[in-house]
Amino acid sequence: MSVRPTRVRVLQLALALTMVFDLLALLLLARSTPVIFTIFMFVGQPLLLVALIALGGAVLADLRAKELI
Amino acid sequence: MIRLRGAMLLVMLVAVPAVAVAAESGIPLPRGWVGTTSQWVRGFGIALVLLNLALVAFAWRSLRHNVAVTAVARGWLLVSIGLVPIMVAFLSFAHGLEGSTTVAACGSCHVMGPFVSDLQNVKSDTLAATHFKNRYIQEHHCYTCHSDYGLAGTLKAKLEGLGHVWRYSTGSYVLPIKIAQPYPNVRCLGCHGESQKFLNATGHPKEEMPNLMRGSTSCLDCHGPAHPKPEKAAMR
Repeated sequence: MSVRPTRVRVLQLALALTMVFDLLALLLLARSTPVIFTIFMFVGQPLLLVALIALGGAVLADLRAKELI
Repeated sequence: MIRLRGAMLLVMLVAVPAVAVAAESGIPLPRGWVGTTSQWVRGFGIALVLLNLALVAFAWRSLRHNVAVTAVARGWLLVSIGLVPIMVAFLSFAHGLEGSTTVAACGSCHVMGPFVSDLQNVKSDTLAATHFKNRYIQEHHCYTCHSDYGLAGTLKAKLEGLGHVWRYSTGSYVLPIKIAQPYPNVRCLGCHGESQKFLNATGHPKEEMPNLMRGSTSCLDCHGPAHPKPEKAAMR
């Protein structure tokens, strides 16, 4: 069994968070209630933000590793 | 196989907005009707969510067997985390914001049930029911009367709405449900204030106008009740 670099794991976590965000968005679009909207705003959107930060971090780390920045 | 999947995805993307547009029925629609903005926002939102779930699956697969992030994986990641979800967030938020102003949204909390039932009761003579059955307000009936005009009014109503969701979810509300502050005349005057029916009504003598405009005489003093008296037992 190979050990995966942290970067790949972080990106997989970002994908998982994006999937949860997508499911919450789908729930809101299918059945819009104030409670679902609130959950989407305070859980779904922060999850996407974390995923974006993880992606940005991975891109920066990649560029640093290649000595481009 | 890949072509078949692509074709299925394309059909899904086209079909979902069409289904959302066709879902609502009612009075005959004008010729060439293509749906409302909010129906299209909802349809495209659903289509983009489904597309993004597929993109996430492709991105996951491109990472699964690799110990390093390849150029192909980078492309999938950029689209599936960085591009499509931002569009999904925008469309979903717009849909949620619009959806939270509907009568159905207000009625989704069971404590609002008696008020919504009375609103939709054609035999009721309360002020809210009169406005509803005669369509004095076209849509978003609860929200129109219970939010102030302008951007500040919308923001205030949304913040109050968050408080309502919190109190409802945690059960920290007190029965019977009552309006938080006395109902301000300015919400009535926003629509009625400049109408000739209001200005020339015998019940609105000229000397009383300043009091009505200031709010020292409430519109509901003569035109109430807006809703039926909340009965504690009926709201449990």
